[in-house]
Amino acid sequence: MHPLLSSRLLHLSLEMDHRQPSASPVALGEFSFPAAANMNDPILVFFTAMDNQGGVIVKGNVQYIRNSPSLRSLFAHSLGALCLPNRRAAADLDTRRTEQPKLDLDLYIQNYRGRTRYDRLFLIGRSSVPLCVDALKAAAAEAKRGRDTHRYREAVECLRIAAPSEPEATFDQAWLESVDAINGSEITRLLAELKGYKNNLVKESIRIGNEELAKFYESSGDLNAAAETYQKMRPDVSTQKQIADVGRHLIRVSLAQRNWGMVIAHLSKMVLNQTPEEEDTLQPFLKISQGIASLGQERFLDAATAFLATKSGVPESTYNEIASSNDVAVYGGLLALASMDRIDLQTMVLDNSSFRTFLEREPHIRRAVTNFVNGRYSACISTLESYRADYLLDIYLQKHIPKIYAEIRRKCIVQYLIPFSCISLDTMNGAFGIPGQPIEEELYSMIQSGTLQAKINTIDKHLTTASSNPRLKLQASALEKAQSYEKQAVDRLRRMGLAAADLELKGQKNMHVNTLSSSSEMYEEYRRLDE
Amino acid sequence: MDNAASVLLAFPPDGDLPTLEKYHKAVTAHVQQVERLLKDTTTNLASLAPLLLEHVNPAVNSISYLALLQSILASEKTTQPQRLAVLPSVTAFLMTFDPRQIRYVGSALSRLLDLVATNELLPASAAVDVLATAILRLNPAGSMLTSHHLSLVSLAYETNNIEPALPVLEKTIVFYPGVKGAAAGKRLLGDPALAPAAYLTPESGLTTKLSSASVLQYDLFCGLCFIQRRMWQQAFDALERVVTYPTKDLACSKIMVDAHNKWVLVGLLLTGKMPALPSTTSQAAQKTYATLGKAYTAIGKAFEKLTAETIKAEAFSLGQYSLAEEGNLGLMQLVLSHYQRWQIVNLGEAYTKISLEQIRAQTQSAETGAPLETEAEIEALVESMIGDGMLHGVIEKPAPAAEEGDDGTPPPPPQPGYLHFLSPADDLSEQQFAAQMLAAAQRIKDLGPVVKAASERLGTRPEYVRYLVKEQKRDKDGSGPNSAAMGFESTFDEEDLMTGVTAGI
Repeated sequence: MHPLLSSRLLHLSLEMDHRQPSASPVALGEFSFPAAANMNDPILVFFTAMDNQGGVIVKGNVQYIRNSPSLRSLFAHSLGALCLPNRRAAADLDTRRTEQPKLDLDLYIQNYRGRTRYDRLFLIGRSSVPLCVDALKAAAAEAKRGRDTHRYREAVECLRIAAPSEPEATFDQAWLESVDAINGSEITRLLAELKGYKNNLVKESIRIGNEELAKFYESSGDLNAAAETYQKMRPDVSTQKQIADVGRHLIRVSLAQRNWGMVIAHLSKMVLNQTPEEEDTLQPFLKISQGIASLGQERFLDAATAFLATKSGVPESTYNEIASSNDVAVYGGLLALASMDRIDLQTMVLDNSSFRTFLEREPHIRRAVTNFVNGRYSACISTLESYRADYLLDIYLQKHIPKIYAEIRRKCIVQYLIPFSCISLDTMNGAFGIPGQPIEEELYSMIQSGTLQAKINTIDKHLTTASSNPRLKLQASALEKAQSYEKQAVDRLRRMGLAAADLELKGQKNMHVNTLSSSSEMYEEYRRLDE
Repeated sequence: MDNAASVLLAFPPDGDLPTLEKYHKAVTAHVQQVERLLKDTTTNLASLAPLLLEHVNPAVNSISYLALLQSILASEKTTQPQRLAVLPSVTAFLMTFDPRQIRYVGSALSRLLDLVATNELLPASAAVDVLATAILRLNPAGSMLTSHHLSLVSLAYETNNIEPALPVLEKTIVFYPGVKGAAAGKRLLGDPALAPAAYLTPESGLTTKLSSASVLQYDLFCGLCFIQRRMWQQAFDALERVVTYPTKDLACSKIMVDAHNKWVLVGLLLTGKMPALPSTTSQAAQKTYATLGKAYTAIGKAFEKLTAETIKAEAFSLGQYSLAEEGNLGLMQLVLSHYQRWQIVNLGEAYTKISLEQIRAQTQSAETGAPLETEAEIEALVESMIGDGMLHGVIEKPAPAAEEGDDGTPPPPPQPGYLHFLSPADDLSEQQFAAQMLAAAQRIKDLGPVVKAASERLGTRPEYVRYLVKEQKRDKDGSGPNSAAMGFESTFDEEDLMTGVTAGI
């Protein structure tokens, strides 16, 4: 094993993290080396295709990429465009510290239940270089356990490009055909049964018939039909519990479809009137789905508030078909960091007894929040940076990670500068700088966008924070008000004058410019008006 | 001749004319007599006029003086040398005439002004000056647009004699001729307190009725004149008046589109940003600008970008030919050359000191689409900006460390120069601020008479009177048996019904 890799693994095993890789270090090792210099590497072909489709790619080991020129160029581009907000960082690949994803597939996926397992595995397979084949294999196996042949085809198709030599990379034709046939007949049967129930006009049977059919649609991958059929259950529900069940089904399907607007719409219909115990069991599910939907719509503060309000002490099985309790901690912590100030972070995250239970599962998130609250911003950033690769492999976070990280970084810089009136750029570089990338440009863009009230002095190399001058502001605004009042008054008088003299421009056929076709016509028009 | 002289000098009489009525009667009588004299073929006024002009004072006997000038200039017998000889008198008259008297012979004055505006009588520079003075003598506030404004502005722009016209062009115009019932009516023309709108009317002959196109044209020409003089703020305001011109029935004029395009370019020069359309712009005009002014809006957006490629490409796509045809070629070139200047100014928001080399690397010229080649060019550019007052800063060059030639070490490299942005003026002292506020308040107060005139005019319009009568009737009916129901109606106007009710809740 390569010394760098082994030291990293050692480091990882020292980390207090439930995701610590204990099961498959060899698999990681295999990836970091042998295929490195091979230009016809199927992995390379696969990730080139993924990159062309605009997917996020998380490289694992720097060594691996450094040895493969083509992969390096590929990642230089993709990292620049997708993973890192700073374009210079991409060019400086070698000096940038990149982390191996710390997650272990088996441990990770056993936290979930239902269709989300496949979604997560498949996403990891398409995004992570070191975990690619393992994840795709697991995805194929997961798909084969269910009824969704489309998923199976998808996973095997990817495997065929990424690892053609693996035994899993060939289609199990017999299984496919038999499952397709069973699916067809099962749907026909369920439809026929449902028709029978409808003829009998028994509400409860119709509801159950619809539910069974919808569940079958869902498991065989026809989410649109599933959502539609779940909707049809609504007229026949009779108890509060049933209403809640319909809501849960619909929310789950909408989340899988990534239709965030529908999730919110369904959530708003879940006004519950149940016993407190029942409400408690449902609460985490609702809050988590609300959080995920808000995250999908980039409403970070709403999402953070929802995650932070999630109640602990409810069995994970009630919500692990959408997210695990680890996810709650990560989502809630990251989004709170990106959207809340220090006081709110202290009261709503660290002092939140219910959320603390979640945080205990992700100690580094708590560390990052604590560091931020205590003003150790660079420690906060470096903790988060070391987990960036992991978070990029999460189905809901992946898209938003660059934005969330940039937001946190901006907040850190702004907070860091509060006690200073003047600070040298070297100190800033020491606190936030990425090696080889001066912080000046980032500061410049922050000042331009109005996030930061400061000025840079590139000659004496320091940053002066602008003290707000309320007196000046007040004076300027007062003068401006007076001026705009005068301007408006004159303008209104002028308009009244024009109206009184009946001088408004009237619509005439040939005066309307839209009817003028050529410029010569316009010119004549102009002449005519000139006269 | 004596007879003529006695008629001409009869007004104003030596004694005071104590009341307005007497003044009015005397002037009217005088005008009639002068007219009779003009028509009288026995006294050949045209031949006597040059002599008589010497005895008549243009500032006192303005009506008579005007009549004499008219008789000379209108007569077919007048030879060219005679015409030339009378020019100093024309100038003297137009610079000094009595604005109160002249209201009674408005059409004669207008004829003379029109003659001056044709540019045949006087050299253009003198003509513009004389016209501007005459217009301001008629209405010192300059708040009313007349047909003479139009001839002034086009003469000034076409002959490039803008400066003498500026006093007129810079006035705020709020009144327009052609308002029904605006004429003096029962009030006497000679009333010194009369609002300009009451005597600068087509009826008095001091202006003709204007069309909306001429109003638009006036403001557009004003804008062009200010552009010529590089008075960007005034140009921007003038063009904005065209852009926001009130329209009806989805109308939009070609002049407005032209003005909009220029307005975008001038706005870029003035503020460095794409100007936002004022909310008073009519819907139809907004739509039209969006389609016909697309190329210019694109340039405005590109101007705000950090790289010069887009603006260069946009300007190129507009094409020299169409720019020249729309008369925007020069303006466009100026915009392109100002692009980098504004970028440098914007750097001042983020930097206190920045090296010239960094400025060179961070800003681009829109003319070439690339950063400037050398630091010297940047230095020259920054220096010219500081010179123009566009940039508040200084270029500093640290003195190189003392040279040590003796011990053989090479002299240290010269320190690079840098630009030091000076902070904008500090906050004003309480007195300065108070003075500024007071000035602003005074300007608003100065609008008072205008507001009063407008309100008077609106108050006497038949629509308003009809409305009042209706209101009063309704009030009377309200005291009848159905007073409860009617009372409700009279409290809330029909349109305001909803708002009134909700406000009540």
